[in-house]
Amino acid sequence: MKGLLNSRRTQWVLLAAALSLPFLARALEFSFLTRVGGVVGLLMLLSLGLNVTLGYVGLFDLGFIAFYAVGAYATAILMRAHVAAPLAVVLAVALTVVIRFLLGLTILRLRGDYLAVVTMGFGEIARLTFNNLDALTNGPKGLQVRPWRPLSFLGAWKPLEFVRKESNVQFYFLIVAAVFLAAEASRRLEDSRVGRAWVAIREDEVAARLSGIPVREYKLLAFTLSAVFAGLAGALFALWDQFVTPESFIFWESILLVAIVVLGGMGSIVGVLLGALILGGIPLLMEATLSPQWIDYRYLFFGIILVLMTLFRPQGLLPSARREAELSS
Amino acid sequence: MNTERALLEVRDLAQHFGGLKAVDQVTLSIRAGQIAALIGPNGAGKTTFFNVLTGVYPGTRGEIYFDGSPIRGRPAHEIVARGIARTFQNIRLFSDMSALENVMVGRHARSREFLLGPLLRTAAFRAEEAEIEARAKELLAFVGLKAQGNERARNLSYGAQRRLEVARALASEPKLLILDEPTAGMNPTESADLVALVRRVRERGVTVLLIEHQMRVVMDVCDRVFVLDYGVKIAEGAPREVTANPRVIEAYLGQEAA
Repeated sequence: MKGLLNSRRTQWVLLAAALSLPFLARALEFSFLTRVGGVVGLLMLLSLGLNVTLGYVGLFDLGFIAFYAVGAYATAILMRAHVAAPLAVVLAVALTVVIRFLLGLTILRLRGDYLAVVTMGFGEIARLTFNNLDALTNGPKGLQVRPWRPLSFLGAWKPLEFVRKESNVQFYFLIVAAVFLAAEASRRLEDSRVGRAWVAIREDEVAARLSGIPVREYKLLAFTLSAVFAGLAGALFALWDQFVTPESFIFWESILLVAIVVLGGMGSIVGVLLGALILGGIPLLMEATLSPQWIDYRYLFFGIILVLMTLFRPQGLLPSARREAELSS
Repeated sequence: MNTERALLEVRDLAQHFGGLKAVDQVTLSIRAGQIAALIGPNGAGKTTFFNVLTGVYPGTRGEIYFDGSPIRGRPAHEIVARGIARTFQNIRLFSDMSALENVMVGRHARSREFLLGPLLRTAAFRAEEAEIEARAKELLAFVGLKAQGNERARNLSYGAQRRLEVARALASEPKLLILDEPTAGMNPTESADLVALVRRVRERGVTVLLIEHQMRVVMDVCDRVFVLDYGVKIAEGAPREVTANPRVIEAYLGQEAA
């Protein structure tokens, strides 16, 4: 099962399945499905980012959503300054990375619960800043972003003509591509000297240090790299929704991300993707299909899942399969 | 005295914690190729001494020269890179990683591929990975764990975990291997195996310094013994000299016995 999930072919099958979703949604005349897919995709991207710090290195980060916000706001502000969209994305990601690096420099000497509390505090500070820095962020009223339709050219091909008008579909494709790249990058890092060093730190920091790993540098590296994922997700979100407000970046979202990584299996890429699908997708679908009086129960569903997981599968749905090398020689 | 050069030279080393002098005025030197033991009653400061040596604690005073250069207070990972590796009194493996991966982590200081190599899977990266894996497998075979490479470290037997720690430490190609009570909790067969392993480690050209409580082991393999008591070195010499030393007997058994 593990081998199957991690094989090359399965990756391509999953990618193909993901890419076919908009066509399925069209066939079912349920276009909201594509939007759900996109939102889940952003969650996947964010969770893969958090997976680098929380999953591999075991750094408890309860304010990850702040960097999603930084990516989104930076993109929105740059777009309003008439910067070309692709450049805005690149600059927004770079800014997110720089801010995360500076934060990491100052707080990574903290461990465990202390780190969790400080990151949580940073998350709240970031949200309150966006809420109150009217001159730059327009406060709670939020920022409008000019439209950008990057994949309209696909419409030139007859079967894809509908894509021209549907920004949901266009961004869905972009997000799928980003998730695919992020997962592949994670896999490659994980299966390398860098990934082994990260996991070693998670398993036993002292032993890692005394095995020759510069622990502080490697923590900072993971902490910083995870911002690439968060910044990119934020940028895509801002361009897609064309509207950014502080409301999108509440503490609850950070908790959701931690829950996804823990539920999926810390450090397991497939597990994290599955976690995002379940914890992100199912409540959204409930929201879309249930009658209003039931909608609030989606959090109950969330709670039940977490309780069941803690009881029956504390290691996560698909705990990471550490590499099994051929030792027969 | 000895014409051969000292691999490790410790001069007047101290590690104080507030008023507690865990290690004080320790001076000793170990020649390349020796197997040396550090003994002493519980709480004598042996592990603290190891911790200063390997960069866990900074030390309060004195100097440690390794291979000619001062290393006291250097970061632990740098000391590993210079050639000191160690194991722990309470086994500290990366328990969720496979045995093979544990040893591969040990090669960190001897490899360099970083970010771009792994991400782009460059030829240099693939070559280094293959080298890391080959070395790790060789070391697993060396400590007798060839068949257990895929086993998670936590699932290995106690003796196997101790040997895996040795393999992980050796992966950094140390000049000096420090073993903190390698035979603790072992049955006689297991500790005999470990003694044999320590000998073979020396044959690889690695100098060994170990903390040991089983005098049989000390008599068996060590060239030189240092005795610590209350953080101070009270004796040193060949194993037989040291065990006959009244101060050592006193430290272990009390004044009347001496």
